[in-house]
Amino acid sequence: MDKLTPADLEKMNKASTDKPKDWIKVGMGSCGIAAGAEEVFNFFIEEVKKRNLQIDIKKCGCAGSCYAEPLVEVSVEGLPSVVYGTVNKEIATKILEKHVISKMLVNDCIFEVLV
Amino acid sequence: MYTKVILVKDTDLKRQDKTREFYTHLLDHLRESNLHAQIQVVRVADIGVYDRGLVLKILPDKITYVNVQDADIKRIVDTTLDKGKAVEDLVFKAKARQFRIVLRNCGNIDPESIEEYIASGGYLGLKKVLGELGQQKLIEEIKISGIRGRGGAGYPTWMKWNFAREVVSAEKFVICNADEGDPGAYMDRSVLEGDPHSVIEGLIIAAFAIGASKGYFYIRAEYPLAVERINKAIKQAYDYGLLGKNILGSSFNLDIEIRLGAGAFVCGEETALISSIEGKRGYPHPRPPYPSVKGLWGKPTVINNVETLANIPVIISKGGKWFSQIGTQTSKGTKVFAVTGKVKNSGLVEIAMGATLREIVMDICGGTLSGKPIKAVQTGGPSGGVIPEELLDTPVDYENLQKLGSIMGSGGMIVMDDDDCMVDIPKFYLGFCVEESCGKCAPCRIGGFQMLGYLKKISEGKGKPEDLSQMRRLAQAMQKASLCGLGQTASNPVISTLKYFESEYNEHILNKRCPAGKCNSLVTYAIVEDKCKRCGICVINCPVQAISGDKEQGYLIAPEKCVKCGRCFDVCKFKAISKK
Repeated sequence: MDKLTPADLEKMNKASTDKPKDWIKVGMGSCGIAAGAEEVFNFFIEEVKKRNLQIDIKKCGCAGSCYAEPLVEVSVEGLPSVVYGTVNKEIATKILEKHVISKMLVNDCIFEVLV
Repeated sequence: MYTKVILVKDTDLKRQDKTREFYTHLLDHLRESNLHAQIQVVRVADIGVYDRGLVLKILPDKITYVNVQDADIKRIVDTTLDKGKAVEDLVFKAKARQFRIVLRNCGNIDPESIEEYIASGGYLGLKKVLGELGQQKLIEEIKISGIRGRGGAGYPTWMKWNFAREVVSAEKFVICNADEGDPGAYMDRSVLEGDPHSVIEGLIIAAFAIGASKGYFYIRAEYPLAVERINKAIKQAYDYGLLGKNILGSSFNLDIEIRLGAGAFVCGEETALISSIEGKRGYPHPRPPYPSVKGLWGKPTVINNVETLANIPVIISKGGKWFSQIGTQTSKGTKVFAVTGKVKNSGLVEIAMGATLREIVMDICGGTLSGKPIKAVQTGGPSGGVIPEELLDTPVDYENLQKLGSIMGSGGMIVMDDDDCMVDIPKFYLGFCVEESCGKCAPCRIGGFQMLGYLKKISEGKGKPEDLSQMRRLAQAMQKASLCGLGQTASNPVISTLKYFESEYNEHILNKRCPAGKCNSLVTYAIVEDKCKRCGICVINCPVQAISGDKEQGYLIAPEKCVKCGRCFDVCKFKAISKK
């Protein structure tokens, strides 16, 4: 790895603003993992591969709403990005089938907490 | 394809949930107005607004309506959905909002990717410091920002840095204090796990400010994931030339290494922490000399808390002036609280200083889990105090909390309802401090132990009225004569409960009664004859066979056998067990 120069930093910062891509983010802090986030994360990776979906699965830290872990944020083009809470495999399947494929938000699982 | 989304949730807990009913009405209306193909209605699990009737949130406009009635549907459909305007009288104006500086990236970026941190503006603060500001201006900027230490004591960060900078020494050190030990507090862990690079960047900037060439992370071994992520982040930073020699092409060098703490509470105190890093026993030392002058291995050392350091990059990139406009007169910026206890939404909350405790607990965290009224809120962990319900409208800042007999502390906030006993709570906290006392100085070692003895006596119903004044005397001695912060503040939970809840102490002492039903020795369980349906579930669940009887004759609890575990009380579906 080459050492960065100040100019490289600027470039890396600017390069980020283009291309909105579809993604799913799983909260993988201690609180998330304790609630089962690892299982959900692996499930998403497997299913996306199996169904051949064009969506990134990423991990992130704790978003703060520890009572609703595991938290999964989904951003798909054409829909507002939302956070699903207390996600298990069942809800994860719904997220893939309904939200990602049919482009409809899933009922009864969204935690829209940050006002 | 939908153009708008309406989120629906009934937040009135006193009635049956009307979310589904309203959802159907709304769908019908949309169908009538022929909008159903463009607008999706979604029932949500939590809408971020509490106790405000039916709540609607319209995305992407981000308009929130509260206390919506069926009759309002038509107005909303016509005005907002058709014409895109807000129905003013229903719009929700949030008083308290989260304001995220420290948690800016937590939950947004991948903590294991330095690229994502840089893409979100990371290390640009460091670039500015090395390229434009220089030491003097950097400290000036931190002074303008008015940031104070987030570890609890609230000492101005710029002063710490300036003292250490002014000392002439060939070697200086910076330390990130990540020895978070308060029961119920975990903000630092989340920041280390969710955004490790922000803390590293803050530490590099602090090192540059004082001219240090070596930095340490002091993390407790109980945080394995945080240690793993910081380790990874440090390695990435070395690979990118953000640590090591000639950082970003400048002449500034810095090495950072991790030191694990074994989880002693006292090692969060800066002089004890230094001893621990030096490989000695974690004993505190009298100050002065302060670590800024004579710290690690006798060299000038700056110790900053995780949250303080995570603030620094933002202060640099957005400017000290911007930061100083947030918060109150004396306390600038934001504070992260870990809200736990009997609260509906436990988790991390970051608010601008000056928001009230009530806003945090009721508006952001949705009130108590049980729906019972709040009795008190405890802030500052074992060093803090208990703030009663009637004072919850106090704006949060360092001075205000101190006036109430508590402290800001590192940011633990424990919500208590009527089921919490105000003798039991200080007993727990003091017990923690007695356990964690290093034993070096007598006021803390003996005073804490004696005071705990009084509390145990009172909770067993053996207390005397004069015990309270004895405890007050002991507390004063501990506050004045203890060597370090642990002993000086260990009596705060006792003092504050004595101040606000003396009647509850008296109830224990004079009437031998625990109003909350927590103190086991003062509670007796009995079966209420007319409520009992004789199902026998209490008999099955009693671990010591203290309940006798049968379905015909009814049941009886034998007080001499009962160990007061409360199992029968919990399992009885007919509330036929009384607890007095």
